[in-house]
Amino acid sequence: MRRYLLHRLWQSLVTLLLATIVVFLGVRALPGDPALALAGEDRDPESLRAIREQYGLDDSLPVQFWQFVSHAAQGDLGQSIRTGESVNTMLRHALPVTIELSALAILVASLIGIGAGVVAAVRRGRPAEWAANALALLGLSVPNFWLGLMAILYLSVALGLFPASGFVPFFSDPVGNLHHLVLPALILGTGLAAVIMRQTRSSMLDALSADYIRTAEAKGLPPRAVIGRHALRNSLIVVVTIVGLQLGALISGAVVTERIFALPGFGKLTVDAVFQRDYPVIQAVVLVTATAYIVINLLVDLLYSVIDPRIRVRGEA
Amino acid sequence: MPRRTPSTPIRPRRSTRHRLAASAVLAALVVAGTACSPVQSTDNQAGGGASDTAATAKDVFGDPADPAKVNHGGTLTVALSADPDKLDPSLSRSLYSRYVFHTMCEKLYDLGPDAKIVPQLATALPTIAADGLSLTIPLREGVKFADGTTMDSTAVKLSIERGLTLAGSGRKSELGPISSVQTPDAKTVVIKLSKPFAPLTAALADRAGMVLSPAAVAKLGANFSTGPVCVGPFKFANRVAQNSIKVVRDPLYYAADKVHLDAIEYRIITDSSIRSANLRSGDAQVADSLSTQDAPEVQKVSGMTVLQSESLGYQGLTVNIGNADGIEKPSKQLDTPIAKDPRVRQALALSIDREALVKSIFNGLNTVACSPVSPKSPFSSDAAQVCPAHDPAKAKELLSQAGVSTPYKVSMITSNNPDSLRLAQALQAMVKEGGFELMIKPVEYTSLLDQQDRGDFELLQLGWSGRVDPDANIFSFVGTGGSQNVAGYSDPELDKLLTDARQSQDQAKRVELYGQVVAKLQQADPIIYMYRQRNLTGVSNKVLGVQTYPDGVLRTAFAGLAK
Repeated sequence: MRRYLLHRLWQSLVTLLLATIVVFLGVRALPGDPALALAGEDRDPESLRAIREQYGLDDSLPVQFWQFVSHAAQGDLGQSIRTGESVNTMLRHALPVTIELSALAILVASLIGIGAGVVAAVRRGRPAEWAANALALLGLSVPNFWLGLMAILYLSVALGLFPASGFVPFFSDPVGNLHHLVLPALILGTGLAAVIMRQTRSSMLDALSADYIRTAEAKGLPPRAVIGRHALRNSLIVVVTIVGLQLGALISGAVVTERIFALPGFGKLTVDAVFQRDYPVIQAVVLVTATAYIVINLLVDLLYSVIDPRIRVRGEA
Repeated sequence: MPRRTPSTPIRPRRSTRHRLAASAVLAALVVAGTACSPVQSTDNQAGGGASDTAATAKDVFGDPADPAKVNHGGTLTVALSADPDKLDPSLSRSLYSRYVFHTMCEKLYDLGPDAKIVPQLATALPTIAADGLSLTIPLREGVKFADGTTMDSTAVKLSIERGLTLAGSGRKSELGPISSVQTPDAKTVVIKLSKPFAPLTAALADRAGMVLSPAAVAKLGANFSTGPVCVGPFKFANRVAQNSIKVVRDPLYYAADKVHLDAIEYRIITDSSIRSANLRSGDAQVADSLSTQDAPEVQKVSGMTVLQSESLGYQGLTVNIGNADGIEKPSKQLDTPIAKDPRVRQALALSIDREALVKSIFNGLNTVACSPVSPKSPFSSDAAQVCPAHDPAKAKELLSQAGVSTPYKVSMITSNNPDSLRLAQALQAMVKEGGFELMIKPVEYTSLLDQQDRGDFELLQLGWSGRVDPDANIFSFVGTGGSQNVAGYSDPELDKLLTDARQSQDQAKRVELYGQVVAKLQQADPIIYMYRQRNLTGVSNKVLGVQTYPDGVLRTAFAGLAK
């Protein structure tokens, strides 16, 4: 297990370095100049030169890359070109919001997706399956932006049930925090719920036709135990994989959701930084996202070994 | 009073746990249910159609709050359309930071609702020496910064000098040829100039005139924006990156009894429709920069008011005449008909039906513009507001005289936001009649700025937010070697008129000179001015005292929540 873990960690570090190089070069390949974006209307050549000098934008690319990597290795992600704030502080404020939003979205998506997937598999060929499939299709087809806008118009403006924007930290007001996040989590979780539903249904159908299920039924186990303890548990491994693989989609969904609901999260930070060509923020955001992606995929792999011990044996072989 | 040119009458157009769980379930159902429904008008919308807009196409600045009608305390939430940049008056460059600064960083001078300059931290307008080389500014006494230190002439001197010398300062060009700042006593500042510079007083009514706490500057240096300290009704509390900025009441403010709110939170909501929705749901009480599409809808909702003020700036088309190698390099005449021959540019200007453009694209809310001088400016005149009539036949004739075969193809870069694209498409259809074939190249805003400065365009659609003194709307844009002269235009006669105007202390003479400047610009058309935007701010009637002035800055400092 240790060897497997070390191997995966080494792979992760290489991936991270490659991601850093790609984003560093990618950001600079974008048309547009951060100094111009910052100067906006009030630009004059002297100011532009001063901005470029202040943020090292006039240094050569290797020098800029070394500055970024050497500071990042010491935990200093730099200073925002646009606001002058420390990028570490910006991330410290934004990360918990997106983590909480994503966790709630995964919770909502799992509850809806697994529930609907089990119903669709058990009630195969009946109206319940059709309804679940229709909902899944809808969840996959409707863009988050439109759904969010509709939710604000109907649930916030017309009915006044939820706030249309804003955020309260969990530790200062837990109820207010959840009240602000229910709607965004629901919108963000819709697409993922559809994916989970379809995957759960498919895996459950496979499991329900397996020999061990017939054996369990022959032993006289009640249907609830057969479905819950045997079929569903064996189907969950795929669902866990899906959640892991969908993390990227979840983060890109968070970009849209956070902008709609004015949530001070990672997604909003990313998009705004890209529009403003705020290189230090974009680099930091991608670095943290890549790290999170790698760590979560590593955890998902390790979770396999908990759910299915055979995977661990192969990993050590 | 704003003056209108007779040749282009601008007509206003008619034109908790269980509850939470239950809410979540209901939300899921409604979200699913609404996924296929069209958006309906809310029930409390008043009747009337597009004609309601017509009556609103005039300036509505809002009124100061009546102290008897507002509560003491409460937090005002303002939905802002863009994230302010650095909260440092020397380094700030965005209009949105001015919204926040006005609550926490007062200036030597301010702009009144009539676009006239009035004293703020100064006690009177500056006394200008006969030779125009010295300005004496008397200061308010007994004024404290939010950190408790005293505001005096030393602080003013430090602030102005910081604006002149700080690396990356956006104030240097605004402050002009200042040679020194003297402090004969604690309540007097004398600014010495190397040559006369009339626009200085107007510059001191903006960020260049904001006075910074020397103690905070000494402590934070170039990072002043992380904890700005000035004199103001409110003081900086916190900022959540790209999301919100909060200011809280400053008990040390010299007129603290006039401040009603406890705090103001600026929430950044970039999408116009969502900003409007937040206003209507009550999550925000004020929303700036409503789109001309959303404003009539907000206007119709009971309990909402739309404040309107005509921008001091303009939107126009910049023709690349000599920006061959980028703005930092000397201009070089380009070899295209539109760059070489003013008749081709005049033809393009004559092909644009500004009245129709404003009515069809902007619901009649924006106003026609043919010059960089705002009709609200004290330096405006009939001559500065002359507008050539739409005349596609004459446009074709001019193209023929210039020896250009029609349709003459011109490519135009424009920002890729919906409003700019709608405008570009309308222009495309419009200029066809005048013999032009406009090719639209939409690009993202930051790329647009880049292409503009590199000279990588033939025609470009962009605007300028405007300043009260016309010099700031003209000199850098069309003056030879001007810092924003992306057209690469140069005309020594125009340069002389502009230099005479900026050095003259005689208002009548400046008015006359700017009239001549406009006539010259309309002959050469390096920039084809089209319209002035209207600053549209949605305000809930639950808040009183929110105002907008012609400078486009939203004023919320003395607002209060209605009783």
